[in-house]
Amino acid sequence: MPRPHDRDFDDEIRGHLALAIKQRIEQGEDPETARRAVLREFGYIPAIRDSLHRVWYSRWFDAAAALVREMRTGLRSLVRAKGLAITVVVTLALGIGANAAIFSVVRGVLLRPLVNRGEDRLVYIRQSASGVGTENLTFSVPEINDLKSAATTIAAWGDFSTIEFTLLGIGEPRLLHAGVVNGSYFDVMGLRPVLGRLLNPSDDGPGAEGAVVLTHRFWTGFFNSDPSVIGRPITLGPRTATIVGVLEPSVPYPVDTEIIGNMVTSPHHLGATMNTERGHRMTDLFGRLAPEASVESARAELSAAHAAMVRAHSEAYSARANFQLTVTPLREQITAPARTILLLLLAAAAVVFVIACSNVANLILARSVRREGELAVRAALGASRGALRRTLLAESLVLCGAGAILGMLLAQPLVSVVAQFAARFSVRALEVTVDDTLLWVGAGLAIAAAVLLAYVPRLPSSSAPAGLGLASGSLRITPGTNRRLRAFATTQIAFSFVLLAGAGMLVAALIALQAANTGFLTRQVLAFELPPVSFAPSSPTPRPAPDLYREMMQRVGQLPHVEGVVGGFFVPWRDTGRLGRPVQFMVEGYTPADGEENPYARERSVGPGFFATLGIPVVAGREFSEADRIGNERVVIVSQSVAQRLFPNGDALNRKLWTTNRLSYSGRVNSDHSRIVGVVADVDDESVDGVPAMTVYNPWKSKGVPMRLFVRTSGDPYALVPPVTRIVRDLSPNQAVERPATLEDVRAEVLAPERLNALVLSGFAGIALLIAVVGVSGVLAFSVSTRTREFGVRLAVGSSPRRLLMRVLSEGASIVAVGIAAGAAAGYLFAGVAASYLGSVRLPGVLPVLAAATVLASAALVASLMPANRAAHVDVLQALRSE
Amino acid sequence: MARTADDRRLDLLQGTLDMLILRTLQWGPQHGHGIGQAIRQQSDELLKVETGSLYPAMHRLEKQGWLKSEWGVSEANQRAKYYRLTAAGKAQLSREQDRWSQLVYAIGRIMNPASAKE
Repeated sequence: MPRPHDRDFDDEIRGHLALAIKQRIEQGEDPETARRAVLREFGYIPAIRDSLHRVWYSRWFDAAAALVREMRTGLRSLVRAKGLAITVVVTLALGIGANAAIFSVVRGVLLRPLVNRGEDRLVYIRQSASGVGTENLTFSVPEINDLKSAATTIAAWGDFSTIEFTLLGIGEPRLLHAGVVNGSYFDVMGLRPVLGRLLNPSDDGPGAEGAVVLTHRFWTGFFNSDPSVIGRPITLGPRTATIVGVLEPSVPYPVDTEIIGNMVTSPHHLGATMNTERGHRMTDLFGRLAPEASVESARAELSAAHAAMVRAHSEAYSARANFQLTVTPLREQITAPARTILLLLLAAAAVVFVIACSNVANLILARSVRREGELAVRAALGASRGALRRTLLAESLVLCGAGAILGMLLAQPLVSVVAQFAARFSVRALEVTVDDTLLWVGAGLAIAAAVLLAYVPRLPSSSAPAGLGLASGSLRITPGTNRRLRAFATTQIAFSFVLLAGAGMLVAALIALQAANTGFLTRQVLAFELPPVSFAPSSPTPRPAPDLYREMMQRVGQLPHVEGVVGGFFVPWRDTGRLGRPVQFMVEGYTPADGEENPYARERSVGPGFFATLGIPVVAGREFSEADRIGNERVVIVSQSVAQRLFPNGDALNRKLWTTNRLSYSGRVNSDHSRIVGVVADVDDESVDGVPAMTVYNPWKSKGVPMRLFVRTSGDPYALVPPVTRIVRDLSPNQAVERPATLEDVRAEVLAPERLNALVLSGFAGIALLIAVVGVSGVLAFSVSTRTREFGVRLAVGSSPRRLLMRVLSEGASIVAVGIAAGAAAGYLFAGVAASYLGSVRLPGVLPVLAAATVLASAALVASLMPANRAAHVDVLQALRSE
Repeated sequence: MARTADDRRLDLLQGTLDMLILRTLQWGPQHGHGIGQAIRQQSDELLKVETGSLYPAMHRLEKQGWLKSEWGVSEANQRAKYYRLTAAGKAQLSREQDRWSQLVYAIGRIMNPASAKE
């Protein structure tokens, strides 16, 4: 039923009155008497109209309608105050956007349960050796067998290890990252197939058929979600297996793989090394708690079992390494590294929100001081306090609503940046997407801010003499209020200065890293990865791999523009994980000082022509040649830092060098001497920081197969990819050729985390900067608003507007100057304290500090212009008349 | 001192106004003034309904769906709102009438036991 309009009530009442008057006139009364009598009889018309209104409209409806009306009015009045409205909306948007984005990530990573069925009963069992700095050692098969036979608190076990296969027969040969699991793994993990089946205990053992499950990402990406893949055989290097199913999307832990196969797919997993060597650790261990067990009881039992195992095999566990076992719920294991950083970010975002609200409140306060007159008039005309408050609430709702909408728009890209950042700590952050969490948080914050802002301004009190408010049109603010606001703004400037300087430091470091001279010819050298293939079935006359490699390099070397080609074992920066620990070595003619350890150096194996190809200058002696191979004289090349440190007189060449701490596989100390034949320039191939490190280079022993290929060209490096791939395939059709990239691009790829750090901190600093600047502007606006009269008097007695402008600007400048000084002092103090806990803390250089100060000062100056301008343009007559 | 018409008037029992409005409209559509008049005349001038109670009551009944209103032109040549009983309104009227008879009977038994025994 349509609700009647208020007009209808009036019409109905009017109709009634007309009828009643007509009736009385017909009975002989004169019209005026009749009219009076009818009106008297009828009662108080507005009250009756109200009671009709109340039949159809509830009080809530009325309140909401009034608010909407007020909001429309508010919108109009804010359109008139554009500068203020924009400032407030942007500030709130930053506060709301940052919170919504970070909370989305926090919820996605820390709060949501995993998709795994019964995830609260799912535990990860971790072996650590803190004595050698390893937090997660994983397990060897003999260790797993010991634990399994001793435990009662774990109902079922899941074993997971990784291996790489060459996938053949589907398109080009390609490297495939595979997980290898036992039959109960998927059941333990509580995962379901989206297609086909997962692996089960019938897939265990060496007699089973090879079976693999595709991960969801690989199936959708590589196979385009083709449902007919089920039952298809695939060739994995030497073996074949059948695709039996597709796994549902789930958090890949410990690593993301493309397929997950049973044990028989991997020859390595069936071998003696895997199954008998206690030190051959490569398996991650998952468990499902037995019905009556808890995480604590499992931890206690397994730790005890582990301790017993360590005692029983004390020869394999050095006491110094401090082998330990812990049991943690899987979700905690996956997300714990991200917890601290995320909660820290969340807390920071909450602080940002509170500060944003306070600054906006200052602006609103300044405005309400100017509106004091308007509110006083309305109060004098009988508007209730509720009605006045409603006017303010309507305005702040408009502001906060706009802020929330803008904030949502800002938050969407922010979510993916924060998620990428958090993904460095927990793989779970990768699955975080923009969802309705964002909306709820945004709306909630907007309403909170609106209510807060509506209750900030003081209403003209009914007890105070109304005449004063009406006449003066402004409040008298105590100097204390101003001082407090000023201190608050100064603190914000200090904070944002520290953040800006920090961000500046990261950006400067990033620029320095990108521009750094690495010692390599990064632009002209293209690196390929050639994962090993252990067989070549389609080759008519199988030849030993080294022969193939030699021919391959010869043919690549003959390609146009190619200036050099060499095999290696690692791509600088990218393959950091493949590089071994530093070795200790000794050189004839160098005696360590008393108590000094033998020197440590990185150890690298490189092929003949490596230094020439990668552009590393040979400072003295020669580089490796084809003749430096097994059977001939043992030779090494050392980096310049080794030569200089050990032989400052420059006579390192031809000395004998031997390693002193490395055990060969047979357990004997490797003490063969090698002659130093060359000294090359220092490079840092391990970290991007470019710290020159002492390095000892061995010639690549012809027995092994290099898995990386470097080609130096004078032309476009990437133009070499097809011809090189063709040559490789021509010689070995099943050889995968992976990830071709110039060293420059490898470096960019490795610098991605640094870039992300700089981006996240810069983003935060940017937000802090904007908010702090709004803070300064708000304080000045407030101060100007309360001093209208003072400015009027100054103008009247002859002050020039320009002087007033400068006066307000200098107030702003003093806030900024004090803020920056305080920020610098606090920043260095904090860095000092942090350094005493963390060892060393990087401090920003002069340039980022100056840049931060300049940016902050100029932004604050611009922000001060608006209130300063208002001070300079005070209407003298009006200002004085109000007194 | 002669009793004036006003002195003779009775106050309506709580809840009976709705019933009276429905009952009045049984004879056909009528506007608010007409309903008030009809109640007065048919009660032999004993009942007089204040407009302050009549109009909200009619609007309540309309909101309940027992009345339906449409705009027409009154005898005074003025726009007036005419109310008419809906089917649901008729059903409600007979319910209220039953309830009223029971109430009258029950109160009569208590106030006048002798006549009830006959």
